[in-house]
Amino acid sequence: MDLLNYLGIGFSVALQPVNLFYCFVGVLIGTLVGVLPGIGPLGAMSLLLPTTFKATPEAAIIMLAGIYYGAMYGGSTTSILVNIPGEAASVVTCLDGYQMARQGRAGPALGIAAFGSFIAGTLSIVGLMLLAPPLSRFALRFGPPEYFSLMVLGLTFLIYLAHGSMPKALIMAVFGIILGLVGLDSINARPRFTFDKMELIDGVGLVPIAMGLFGVSEVLLNIEQVTRTDIFKTRIKGLLPTAKDWRDSTGPIARGSLLGFFLGILPGGGGVIASFISYAIEKRVSKHPERFGKGAIEGVAGPESANNAATGGAFIPLMTLGIPSNVIMAMLLGAFMIHGVTPGPLMMKQNPGLFWGVIVSMYIGNIMLLVLNLPLIGMWVQVLKVPYKILFPLILFFCLIGVYSVSNAVFDIYIMLIFGIMGYLMKKFDYEGAPLVLAFVLGPLMENNLRKSLIMSQGDFAIFFTRPLAVASLIVALFLLISPLIPWMGKKRQEIPKEEVS
Amino acid sequence: MKSRDIISSLFWMAMGIGVCYGGYKLDLGTLDDPGSGFMFFWLGIIMIGLSLGILIRAMREKAIKGELKILWTEIRWKKIVSVLAVLFLYAYAFTTVGFILTSILLFIFLFKAVELQRWSWAILGAIIITLTAYGVFHLLLGAQLPKGFLGIG
Repeated sequence: MDLLNYLGIGFSVALQPVNLFYCFVGVLIGTLVGVLPGIGPLGAMSLLLPTTFKATPEAAIIMLAGIYYGAMYGGSTTSILVNIPGEAASVVTCLDGYQMARQGRAGPALGIAAFGSFIAGTLSIVGLMLLAPPLSRFALRFGPPEYFSLMVLGLTFLIYLAHGSMPKALIMAVFGIILGLVGLDSINARPRFTFDKMELIDGVGLVPIAMGLFGVSEVLLNIEQVTRTDIFKTRIKGLLPTAKDWRDSTGPIARGSLLGFFLGILPGGGGVIASFISYAIEKRVSKHPERFGKGAIEGVAGPESANNAATGGAFIPLMTLGIPSNVIMAMLLGAFMIHGVTPGPLMMKQNPGLFWGVIVSMYIGNIMLLVLNLPLIGMWVQVLKVPYKILFPLILFFCLIGVYSVSNAVFDIYIMLIFGIMGYLMKKFDYEGAPLVLAFVLGPLMENNLRKSLIMSQGDFAIFFTRPLAVASLIVALFLLISPLIPWMGKKRQEIPKEEVS
Repeated sequence: MKSRDIISSLFWMAMGIGVCYGGYKLDLGTLDDPGSGFMFFWLGIIMIGLSLGILIRAMREKAIKGELKILWTEIRWKKIVSVLAVLFLYAYAFTTVGFILTSILLFIFLFKAVELQRWSWAILGAIIITLTAYGVFHLLLGAQLPKGFLGIG
């Protein structure tokens, strides 16, 4: 009964015309950035965050969430038609989606990607709706040691799943925490690493760092070489999958939805991992695994469902514990805080309109996406034809204005440019940006909870080993950290990047 | 990867030492009441340890001839440097010259510099995009954009 009441609250918020408008703008922009290679949901979210300052927190979060799940929908279009994933989570869709397009079946491939995404997205929201309330109640019992340990675990998961060298990913995370701690000490208001610059008193902003690392650096990488993209020249007809296509896809969509949802909840998980594992599972359970890579519809339906389901799952740790499970959720946490809302176990009670409004808006957003993706595929194909020489000045320009309008400070533009150069060099030297950004957001929270824990225990570290959840989280984190030294675990960790490269 | 890892590990080591020193100067506090520099100090130590690990592993690897050179060949690095220089210049002139004029000049440069476009398109495109962005960001969304010495905007 409670759930129905809450849903009623959610609908009353999400169906307000202004929120419907923000939801539409969010999913539209999400699809657009999903379609366009070179800019991802993180860049788009940081770009559009300043535009939400005048909006209510509900409208702002509804729009930013829409960008996230919208990008997962849009990412498949480029994978299928151009063999270039618009989004990292759609990398695996290239394998069979592009082959289907070459065989004249681009329509059903795009169709099943959209339907699978819709079904999985909707199922994951149901899961989010059912799981979030009990988890919120449970999380009320957590103290600083539990929060600190969970954050360590979240960060470790992301480091474990990062491509390439683990020590490099760890360095990125450490650097991210250090950056996050710059500014006034939250306990005694002492300035730290501000170098007597007034602009650093409030710390370094998330938006300039994210835009620099993921926006500017991406543009620099793209302009260093002359790139040409050939759009598959065929008329896309018959978007509706046939009865056989549906029979072949039902299982992959169901499995992908479940898998994606639960992987989304896991810290460090998310759409990319979910899509890869879904593809591997579908290949393994198929009676004809030899068809995979040659245009098997299951290879599109499973991963596309999994990456969309992961978006719903990823909201659970953020909305119930206040801990972002991936970089995009970290960005969303930043947005919540800018709007004066602290996500966590109390949010459902203190801000039921926001909590349930965002969840319900995702149902509505999913329906909007189905409408946007099926009849408007022709338009998205046209968008793909926008040459990069026109696109990149626009991306750079929006980064510049976006950063400036957050704080009206030119200093932030410099910070963004410095991180743009740094992001570019990091790619050259094989360092990943994601652990840095997540650690940057978690850093102040981690420090706060660590210091509170030590004050509580009068300096005794045993506090982390006497509480079941804290000790369990730390043991798992430790296991993940030493896993590269264990031969079979280290090998497993390398499998995903290898598959991606192939 | 040998040379790249050696360079990057040395960079992070220097950074770690700096952070450690800064944390120490800030006040470490005690375990039952950690000070402002407590986290920085230990994070610096971890960073030094990790960079040492990368450095030692890199030293053991076989050297690849011309590894660093490969990174910078066949790329249009002049374009990258010029785009970055112009972006820094844009930031520098943004408040004094104003949003509209700096943005038009930025677009003209970007359209002309990286992939050669016709002058007519570069100028017209720059003006149209800047004015549209001004309309959307300033007039519609209320973003405060600098007027500069010309007082436009």
